[in-house]
This record gives sequence, structure tokens and C-alpha cells, in this order.
Amino acid sequence: MGIKLYREPKLEKPIMFVGWPGIGNIGIIAVNTLKDILKAEVFGEIESWDFFYPRKVSIREGLLEDLEFPSNKFYCRRLENKDLIFFIGEEQPTEGGGIYASGEKAFQMANLVLDVGLKFGCERVYTSGACVSLIHHQMKPRVCAVASSENLLKEVKKYPNTILMSEIEGRGEGEGTITGLNGLLIALAKKRGLESICLMGEIPDWLSRALLPYPKASKSVLEVFAEILGIGIDLSSLDKMEEQIEETIGSFCSRFPPEVKEGYDQRKFIAQANPGTITVEAQIHIDERFKKGGDEGGERPT
Amino acid sequence: MERDPLEIYKTPQLQSPSLIVGWQTQDVGKLGSKVIDFLNEKLKSQEVAEIKPLGFFPLGAARFKHDLLQVPESKFWACEEDNLLILKSDEPVFEQYRFLNSVLDFAESYCHVKELYTISGVVSFIAHTSPRRILTVFNKAELKRSLQGYGLENMTWEGPPAISSYLLWLAKRRGIPGVSLWPEIPFYLATGEDPHAVKVTLSFLNRRFNLGLDLGGFDLEIRVQNEKIV
Repeated sequence: MGIKLYREPKLEKPIMFVGWPGIGNIGIIAVNTLKDILKAEVFGEIESWDFFYPRKVSIREGLLEDLEFPSNKFYCRRLENKDLIFFIGEEQPTEGGGIYASGEKAFQMANLVLDVGLKFGCERVYTSGACVSLIHHQMKPRVCAVASSENLLKEVKKYPNTILMSEIEGRGEGEGTITGLNGLLIALAKKRGLESICLMGEIPDWLSRALLPYPKASKSVLEVFAEILGIGIDLSSLDKMEEQIEETIGSFCSRFPPEVKEGYDQRKFIAQANPGTITVEAQIHIDERFKKGGDEGGERPT
Repeated sequence: MERDPLEIYKTPQLQSPSLIVGWQTQDVGKLGSKVIDFLNEKLKSQEVAEIKPLGFFPLGAARFKHDLLQVPESKFWACEEDNLLILKSDEPVFEQYRFLNSVLDFAESYCHVKELYTISGVVSFIAHTSPRRILTVFNKAELKRSLQGYGLENMTWEGPPAISSYLLWLAKRRGIPGVSLWPEIPFYLATGEDPHAVKVTLSFLNRRFNLGLDLGGFDLEIRVQNEKIV
């Protein structure tokens, strides 16, 4: 079980951005897009076979040519005043057939990611995921944050379009859980002495169980990343995907019963929708259309 | 702490044997089980080792099928006279990488296995009266060439891998040549038994390893089944 570094880049106190698939793939799209925009270069990987069953075999004319595993790769980029490491994991290791990370394998994977960060002098790590909220899909998603220290919370408050979990109505005193590796990693990072922050883009509650990416929230997270790094980034690469998804969502919405649609549309005019905006019955009705069954995990602050 | 999953009862006296692997879960047409059971019985194989189930199979409850308890098993047999090592196993549910490496560890380190053969049925849209082709996947071109005269057919496939392909890939990484044999099973016999496919598979092994097996008994089984289906 191990880390394979193709080379050892010289990095100074790099910041690490980590992305895994999750609800709406908000985090992985954000981190991967930033990695692509900055043209970060791959320098290592976590070997997959201890964590994942291979997902594809290629057999041609009776010869086994290749076996493909979900990849877990490290990338790096030196900016003028900041060095960066990216980690992109194509799957979360699970025990027991769920979608989101759980058990010993998840613990091992998270620690391996941090081993690499610490090896290169990383002092801060960001993960990103989804914050399931009572928002309308036409609203700009906010970014909800959880951090490892009071000092970091003060910093997070200065990020654009970002709120703390405690500032969301109905969340009590900012209590909840961040399931999967996005949560586990920042917890282990804190334990190992790193600063850690999870930035979660809002996604409408009824879309959280749909098998759809939600690039609109990834864009919100990316805007925060850009602020953190003090850079301007062009997010037009996500425009096409966003347009297609909006169209799909719009088509679903058009089939809502009128009373459900009316209630849902009211969300657009409420700064922060309260739980009464949508009825339990209507919620079940909506969920039925998107049920994928099985897992209820993901970055779902409760 | 990780414990050694291998329990070795006896180190067999084999001279660079071939390893034959049959899986008894998701066993299309019960091909893997039938072939291995026949070989073990006729070749008077001896149990030599097992891979313990802890960590590889869900052990929180007892599974049963057709009212019979199903206990996950992974046992090695050796046939010293014919220089064969045989594994009959359930497919691991967890930690497949560690499990398959344990298979190869025993085969390589204790038995110096030179070739690997895996056996699984493949569902096919053929009639029960049609001949059964054996589709094959090799991990090395040399072995493919050396088996050219056996009437085997090449498989082409891209998609989710079977456990046999995973084992074949790991064997390749260790330099062990191997082939997965995928005899065709008519789709309507997939959940039952297919003596015709069993016979075809055993005929290949019989010829390949000069086993001198009498497979005549299968003709009656095939005839009886054909009559039943009609």
C-alpha cells in the first residue's frame, strides 16, 4: 500500500487542495478545474489496488492488454507567491459497498494524502464538497465553511460569498457532520497539526440525490479559491456544463405539480429559505424522481 | 495487525506445476465447481492449504442457498502425480487485491507454479445443441502461441473485469503466464448445470496435461439434459 512519486518537486509551504467525488461532484469539479486552469503537473499517485477493485479491463484478440483502476493523483504548481499541491481521487474507498468513504481504507487513504502534503512542508489543506440547502437552483450558491481553528474562521469570514455553518438558519450552533473523505481528511489534518478548511457549495436539497453534477456550486467554490490565491480565473470552461445541467433541472421543475413548483419558486425571494418552504409531502414527491437508492452519504451537514 | 491469511497443511511435492483455478460463486452453469470437483475426485488430489476467510468475506451472518448453509471456502489441492495445483474458491467480497496475491504467494513461493489456468463460464446466446466454444484471455502472447493447436477462440472485451482477469493481471506482473478459459454456456442454462461445457473444458485440460481422464460419463448426462429440454 503506498505512495508513488514520479519526481520530488521543490515546494515551499504548499497549500493543498483535495477533491473527491461526492454530492453534485461539487468539490472534485472545483479542485480539478483549478488544477487544470493553473496547468498543474502530475508528480505522484497513491497506488489504487489496495483501495479499489479495477473498473475496466481491456482484452483484445485474446490478450489482456490493461486493467484500469480509479486514479488518485498528486499535482503541483508554483505560483509567484504560493506553491500548490492538488490531490484528485476518482473514487472514495469504502467498506461495505457504499459510495462515500468509510472504514479503515478511508482512514488509510486520508493519511496517505496527508503524508505527501507533510513531506513537502504543507501547512494548510482545503477540501471541498456540497452543502445541501433549501435554495432554488436559480440562486447563486453560497459557500459554507468549516475550519479547524478560531483563527481560520476569522479568515474564512472574509472570503466572498462565504458563510459559516452557524450562520445558516436552522443549523443551531453550526453543528453537523461532513461525511466521506472531505470530512475525514480535514479532521485528520487537524489531528496531525495542519490547518484545514472544508468549503462546501450549496446545492438544492432535492438535487442532492440526483446523479447530476452541479457546476454552479463548483463555480462559487472556485471564486473563493481564486480569492484565497489572489488570482483571477476564467470559469468559462464550466459554462457549457452549467447550461446543460440548468436545462435538465428546468425540465424536471416544469413537471412538478403546480403547488410544489409554487412553493419551490418562493425560495427565490427568500434570502435564506426556512424549512417550511417545502412540505414534507412535496419533498418526498420530488425525491422519488431522483432517487438513486442506497447511499445517503456525501458532504451533508446535518 | 494483519495476519497471514494462508494456512498450509502440507507443502506439496510438485515440479513447476500448473495452477488451475475455479470459482464457485457467480459460477455460470456451475462450470468452475463441476470441473474442479471432477479433477479432484479423479486425480485423487489432496488438500494442501487454504486461505482463511477473515477479512475477505462477510462473516456477520450465515448465508444459505437451496436450504443449505454456504460457508466461504478457498482451498488448494495438489495432484502430485499429474503435477497440478488446484484452487477452488469463493470470490472474495473484500480485499480482492490481498486475496489474489495470497493465491499467487502460495502458488509461487511454495509450489513454484509455472502457468495459471482459470475456469469460468460465459453466458452465450447459443442453443444447448450447439457446440461450446472456449473463449480465452491470455496474459502473455507466448502462451497464446503455444496453445494455438487446441481450438481455442480469442475473446475481445472492454468493461468491468471478472475476478479471473484480475488474477491474470496480477500473475502477469509476477511473470507467471496464464490463461482464462471461458467456455460458452447457453443463457438458459446459466443458473443450472451444463455438462456439455464441463466436458469441453475437461477435454481441453485432459489433452493439455495428459491426464488420461475418461469423460464418457458426460455423454449420458448431456443426452439426458438434451431430452429434458426438448
